[in-house]
Amino acid sequence: MLPQHGSMNTPQLRADGLIKSYGDTTALAGVSLSINSGESVAIMGASGSGKTTLLHVLAGIVVPDAGAVQLATDAGPVIVSALSEAGRAGLRRGSFGFVFQQGLLIPELTAVENAAIPLMLNGMPRAAAQQHAASWLAALGLAGMEDRRIGELSGGQAQRVAIARAQVAGASVIFADEPTGALDSHTSADVMDALIASTTDRGRTLVVVTHDEGVAARCGRVVRLRDGRIVQSRTAATAEQDVK
Amino acid sequence: MRALRLAALFARPGAGSRAALVLPIIAFAVVSSLVLIVLAGVQVFFSWSDELAGFYQVLAVIALALLIVPLLGLGGSAARLSARRRDDRLSTLRLLGATGTTVTALTVLESTVLALIGAVVGVAGYSALVPLVGLVPFRGSALGAGALWMPVLEMVAVVVVLAALAAASAAIGLRTVVISPLGVRVRQTAPRTHWIRLVIGVVVVLVTVGAVSLIRGLGGSEDAMIAVILLTLTLGFGGTLAALNLVGPWVIGVFARRQVKHAQNAQRLIAARAILESPKAAWRQVSGVAMASFTAVFAGTGLALAQSAQSGADAQTRELTADIRTGIILTIAISFIMVACSVGVNQAAGILDRRDLYVSLDRLGMPIGAMDASRHRAIMSPLRIVTVGSALCAAVVILPLTGIAMITAPLSVATIAVSLAAGIAVVWLGLRSTRPVLTRVLHEPERV
Repeated sequence: MLPQHGSMNTPQLRADGLIKSYGDTTALAGVSLSINSGESVAIMGASGSGKTTLLHVLAGIVVPDAGAVQLATDAGPVIVSALSEAGRAGLRRGSFGFVFQQGLLIPELTAVENAAIPLMLNGMPRAAAQQHAASWLAALGLAGMEDRRIGELSGGQAQRVAIARAQVAGASVIFADEPTGALDSHTSADVMDALIASTTDRGRTLVVVTHDEGVAARCGRVVRLRDGRIVQSRTAATAEQDVK
Repeated sequence: MRALRLAALFARPGAGSRAALVLPIIAFAVVSSLVLIVLAGVQVFFSWSDELAGFYQVLAVIALALLIVPLLGLGGSAARLSARRRDDRLSTLRLLGATGTTVTALTVLESTVLALIGAVVGVAGYSALVPLVGLVPFRGSALGAGALWMPVLEMVAVVVVLAALAAASAAIGLRTVVISPLGVRVRQTAPRTHWIRLVIGVVVVLVTVGAVSLIRGLGGSEDAMIAVILLTLTLGFGGTLAALNLVGPWVIGVFARRQVKHAQNAQRLIAARAILESPKAAWRQVSGVAMASFTAVFAGTGLALAQSAQSGADAQTRELTADIRTGIILTIAISFIMVACSVGVNQAAGILDRRDLYVSLDRLGMPIGAMDASRHRAIMSPLRIVTVGSALCAAVVILPLTGIAMITAPLSVATIAVSLAAGIAVVWLGLRSTRPVLTRVLHEPERV
């Protein structure tokens, strides 16, 4: 049985006035955003609109030039953007999980070893880590595939391993960067089913960067960026009202 | 013509492939500089014609044998590097319908051009080093820079041979891409090194030991004894080195499998799996130290025997002994330079090849120190096996000589220990020097 997380409508991740530039290019030009616990948010926009930079800043991979990111934890609020490199790495090991477009799994390791890596990085003994990782793989429909290398899995199966790896250490917020970008539409739907079922359905928060309207439609809220600014933030409820 | 047009397109590198061009050029530059320096030294020895000239020439040939093989090995690694670094784009070309011939021609052409550029840079490096190497004393006085200048034709020949080596290695290195593009793009199964390597290796060692014993029984006059010692060393070195190259990857594979089984933390597991992914590649990375370690045992033995021969000897013999010592130290020093270069280039290339992996580990929260620990372990673990194994192999093959040396001159033991420690330190330094590459990859993942 996999663990359940937090409750909806509690602000879990809050960004205020984020600014980030790369040389002369402004990737974020004052982004403010609040994401509730258990919410799923799709970040959309054209290439170069700043969506991946926003995800990286929210996740503590990149430090903003100005503005702050705050994470609500059991021990109280943490200013992610003010933490040291080591502090942010620690946060990524414990509180955040990541799913990338290409999976970015370690090709030499087996599926269960890949999924167990975050737990081992947190100091859990290998046998226990692999046992826990195996239960996640089974929950995601990969029972019996634990000892396969990544090259022996299909794209969809590899993404499920990545989903397991992202959550195995008990992350409360999952960041997914184009998680279905390398998959066909049928496999995309399966992977999104697995991602939603293992995150928001269990009270975890999901932040997805995507170009795919179909993927965005599966999320509770869609945030659109243009030139580093939020130009639209629409929930499923407001979209329904628009239709009416 | 199609290959030429594609080569012109590929010659415009993006930021990501700049290192793919620079690293092989550096490696080839070092190789050609060292080859030219070694050949220049041999040329000086062969310019002498007095009664001792023959002895010096034999020593020069032995040093050449000790150095040329690993030098060409490093050259081969550089060539494979220049070819393999572009696997992805070449595989994509194959998937897009380019013929095997076009891909091969393009790769061979690229590698050859890189080797040519590197070799020419190496000629410049050799020219800069000549005044320094000219200060090294032999036969009571400095060699002199003037004596170390190679004829232009010979320099051109070295450049051409290196380019040809690069072409051949590129063709062989890319064979897997040509046969199966997907085989390179998607690594499905880890290759296994066959135990038959161990059997063949043991047979080679036994044959070598037998041949060495046979030669030792040939003794007689003083000149004959010197010839016997030299033959013993040459045959012992060649035979055992061949055996090491056969057995090394297999032994590394066996140890890596054990490490995978017992790894308790992420660093150890990733390191062990990385070794197991290609024990041959792991061997290639550290085989330079195998050569140096092996050479160190021979050098220690040579120094010890020379030292024990010195008691009550005349001035000429003492000079000869000092020269042998100088030659041995030079040989080891050049070996270590090759190792440092090889590890540095291979590691930098390894980080760039696997930058996606390192970036993903960073995002998972793996500290850079842990990544470095994993990387160090993937090199230092096979290194320990190789260093100890090679030293033991050398000691066993020329056991009577090492035994005598250890009794008559403990200096030999000290030389061996210091040489091995220096070799390991050099590899560590080579690894340490590549950390900025990793730091840069993590800080600018999209730009490297």
